Amino acid sequence: MNNTQNLKLKKVSVISLFLSLFLFSACDSNQLKPPRDNSSAADESEPSHKFLIDRKLARELAREFGKEFAQEFVRQMQESNTSLAFPIQEKANNQSGTSVPGIVDQEGKPHPLLEHCAEDVIEYYKKNADCFIMATPEDIPAGLNWQDGTKEREFASPAAKKGGTWQVYMRDFPRTLRTIGPDANGAFRSYLLDYNALGLVHAHPNTDGYYPGLAKSWAVAEDGATVFYRLDPNARYSDGNKVRVSDYFFFLYFMRNKHIQAPWYNDFYGKDKFKKVTIYNHDTLSVSFYKAKPDIVERASIRPKPEHFYFELDGEFLRKYQWKPEPTTGAYVVYPRNVDKGKSVTLVRQKDWWADSKKFFRYRFNPDQIKVSVIRDYNKAFEVFLKGDLDMFGLSKSEFWYKKLPHEHPLVANGYLTKVTFYNQTPPPSYALRINSQQPPLDNLNIRKGFHHAINFDLVLEKVFRGDFIRMNSVADGYGARSHPSIRAREFSVEKAKSCFARAGYSKLGPDGILINAVGQKLSIEVLTSYKHFEDVLVVLKEQAKKAGLEIKLKMLEPTAAWKVANEKNHQVFFSAFNSFVELFPRFWEPFHSDNAYEEAGNSKYTDDGLLKKGLTTKVSTNNFTQTADKEIDNLIVLYREEEDLARITEMSHQLIEKIHEHAAWVPGWKKPWLRLGHWNWIKFPENWGPKESRDYEEFHVFWIEPKEKQRIINAKKEGKPISTEPSVKIYDRYLPK
Amino acid sequence: MIRLKLNPLTRKKLSRFRSIKRGYWSLLFLLSVYLVSLGAELFVNKKALVVFYEGNFFFPTYADQISGTRFGLDYSYETNYRDLKNKFKESQSGNWVILPIVPYDPYEMDYGEEEATGFSSPNFEKSHFLGTDKTERDVLARLLYGFRIAMTFAISYLLLTYLLAMGVGSLMGYAGGKIDMVGLRFVEIWSNVPFLYMVIILVSVMPGWWGVGWQVSSLLFIMVLFSWTGMTYYVRASIYKEKAREYVAAARVIGASPTRIVFRHLLPNVISTLVTFAPFTIAAAISSVTALDFLGYGLPPPTPSWGELLKQGVNNLRIAPWIVTSTVSALVLTLTLVTFVGEAVREAFDPKKFSTYE
Repeated sequence: MNNTQNLKLKKVSVISLFLSLFLFSACDSNQLKPPRDNSSAADESEPSHKFLIDRKLARELAREFGKEFAQEFVRQMQESNTSLAFPIQEKANNQSGTSVPGIVDQEGKPHPLLEHCAEDVIEYYKKNADCFIMATPEDIPAGLNWQDGTKEREFASPAAKKGGTWQVYMRDFPRTLRTIGPDANGAFRSYLLDYNALGLVHAHPNTDGYYPGLAKSWAVAEDGATVFYRLDPNARYSDGNKVRVSDYFFFLYFMRNKHIQAPWYNDFYGKDKFKKVTIYNHDTLSVSFYKAKPDIVERASIRPKPEHFYFELDGEFLRKYQWKPEPTTGAYVVYPRNVDKGKSVTLVRQKDWWADSKKFFRYRFNPDQIKVSVIRDYNKAFEVFLKGDLDMFGLSKSEFWYKKLPHEHPLVANGYLTKVTFYNQTPPPSYALRINSQQPPLDNLNIRKGFHHAINFDLVLEKVFRGDFIRMNSVADGYGARSHPSIRAREFSVEKAKSCFARAGYSKLGPDGILINAVGQKLSIEVLTSYKHFEDVLVVLKEQAKKAGLEIKLKMLEPTAAWKVANEKNHQVFFSAFNSFVELFPRFWEPFHSDNAYEEAGNSKYTDDGLLKKGLTTKVSTNNFTQTADKEIDNLIVLYREEEDLARITEMSHQLIEKIHEHAAWVPGWKKPWLRLGHWNWIKFPENWGPKESRDYEEFHVFWIEPKEKQRIINAKKEGKPISTEPSVKIYDRYLPK
Repeated sequence: MIRLKLNPLTRKKLSRFRSIKRGYWSLLFLLSVYLVSLGAELFVNKKALVVFYEGNFFFPTYADQISGTRFGLDYSYETNYRDLKNKFKESQSGNWVILPIVPYDPYEMDYGEEEATGFSSPNFEKSHFLGTDKTERDVLARLLYGFRIAMTFAISYLLLTYLLAMGVGSLMGYAGGKIDMVGLRFVEIWSNVPFLYMVIILVSVMPGWWGVGWQVSSLLFIMVLFSWTGMTYYVRASIYKEKAREYVAAARVIGASPTRIVFRHLLPNVISTLVTFAPFTIAAAISSVTALDFLGYGLPPPTPSWGELLKQGVNNLRIAPWIVTSTVSALVLTLTLVTFVGEAVREAFDPKKFSTYE
């Protein structure tokens, strides 16, 4: 009892101490800032007794007692009728057209467009003055060819209606609602970021052109490496704040910050790629890439980071934002009240989304809500789908398409459900066995080559997939001319596999038919995966590999656990697929450059003869799951990344594909030339189903829900009345390569 | 022949057990199925029992793998004896092959020439008596080998838990005092650790480079580690009870050491209590290893296991009902038989002869 009283007393005394301190300092007039003039007229009519806590004091408070305390302090001050505006909060930004260059002026005051920035952030900008540039509108070169995408055609359907709840599932509850940092790279991120938040400019999924996102127009500078963007004046975050031009400064500050614990992003948005961002006025900026690239408009199109939300980053970042989603520019928002931990997350469509009436968004993002529920089991999800509690279900697997939901299935035959095959054109998800070439015995090239020849994907394609899929041949299929014209995946061949293994010393057959080497070690390799639904594929591969004297051990883990093992590069072989970016040319640096395999930078990993040194430090959390580290490949990748000319890029891409094929650490799996899904007929799609480059049925959000139709189908199903005489099966082959 | 020296009381109990027909026959049936499963290679196997080729006999069942070239085939990997049999028949060269009743092993995928893409229904012509699973593996083969693994697992589990429980229980019971107090508290705490969750957690962090044998034994070890506590109470209580008897006092007076007293005098008298629990422990072990497999935390794939079959069956209930039917029947049958045995044992060992087990 006494203790709590004491504590309370202490609290009160600390607060009163600071109150008095504050009052004292308030007397000191040069520490007092003039009242902010607020942009709204209503505010001006009020008698203005608003004043700010001095910045210094605020920081002192925060440093001494934590930011929470400082904020609480201000809150209490406000409650006690001493109206205060804390500098952390939004400030008026009505300084358009100001033309003072430099991050800070001679007196050390920040540029008007950066007034709201935290001191640390300003410090960072100042320190990297070559990267963050404040210019004047006069600096925008004359004669730029401004584009705004008006020539492009809409790809959504005017028939689309808003409303309804779209029900989907996820396999695992997201471990965080951050979109960056550890564990953020899960499947749920696409609902928050990838398929939701807008960039400056988006690539048109049917043509080679672009359509506007947060930028209303854009222009490529003469050097081909800098793009100018003009922000859409309506662009807003879900919390109502305007997208500020300085949010693009903050984006780079954010992405390069060590506190986000995302080395890949730190590097990807590093200075050696994103040379600089220049702000010209309240709505114009330019982003300079390190090289001219044919697809520079897309590459330089970064997403803004809401500075008013983060303010600045510190060591608390991960903890603080673990379950606190950032305001988004996209249509769907996660509110903490809609997060049912472990069970579901419901995303809500913003009532007055700023892009509601924009040409390329008006008929998209149609459902009012997206309910993403956790269903851990794939097959259970399918049953839930058949019940009508999920609206769509991917039917890529032959087992589902032919056996579990055949055309004769009553739900399909009666017209309640539609089975769709949509031929798309996009780089395929990279289903492949990624061999960790650092782990013995796989550090031996012959073992890796033998492993390739011992993998019988052909049988898998024929039997498990019933010939629906085709074999992937290289690390970069589906990139048009940039893909290699002639390289083929190594075929299954017992003889070739055995001769490769023999060259690596595994030449004797053990009693169980598995090869052993001179010291009696068995040729046994572990394959890690989280894809329990592909267990049959792996079991076939395992049994077939026995023919070549190779033992494969399967390790199937929960997605998050498997991901951890692979991220730490503790796997021998990792079976997984990554979505490829729809891009003009493939990326090689992330998955194959040695800087993503070992901590030691550049060529310091190699001896004079170009061999890998011993005792290198493995680099974790990168996409180089093959731990490829080859001097020649490294050098080629560096040159490839430097190159500006498309013809040269094509040529080098072919060389790289050949070299990586020679390195043999990546066993290409399969690809599918289509998307296959089943959906209830209350879900409607545009006439052509979707854009050409759709990789996922939800990627472009062009579908909509007909609530009346839903009731009708549910009733018909209850009464057992068919609503169609023919099975509802649709094929869209408009984009089928001829 | 060694004369089995059984104490008359035990002999009486055994004969009483034998007289309870239901339990007795259940035990015999279970034992014989288990024995058959121990020699499963002779009944269900892709390897031939006998091959006669150009004047030589081959017995591939328990021998090293024989490559196809040995029988004049054009491949170096293991001979496909079913094909070999057909080939010999066609060529009529006097060579012959005797295959087991079910000529498949639990790992082999019978992707034949024709449209065999998983889930073939039971087919007597091809000797798939219970059909095939997702990847054309014989369900009967997987059932039988799965039974062998589950049973062996359960028996080892039984032995290990009892060993531990008897050790700790008799220590606590005989020593009494502080050891008893501390031990009992420890057991109480330990038994409150949720068993299934602990197993799931530990199994998921098990290093993958361990072989199947290692993984199975560590699964066993982990399960034992978290479930031995239940039995200690009974051992401890019985020891406490027995320790106060005159024969123990007599032994002590003669000068018998504590070890001798515990092992020679106390345990034989305590064991009858434990035996009654044994069949139920077996049933529990079988169901928990099946449950773990079902959840995907049990034996590593593609080890044949009932849990995995059950999972496949449930997931493909509509398209392959034979999987779930046969697995559930086998599981129910086994567990029922084990329970019958348990019931009979309990009754036979019951001091109140005419009471019945509920």
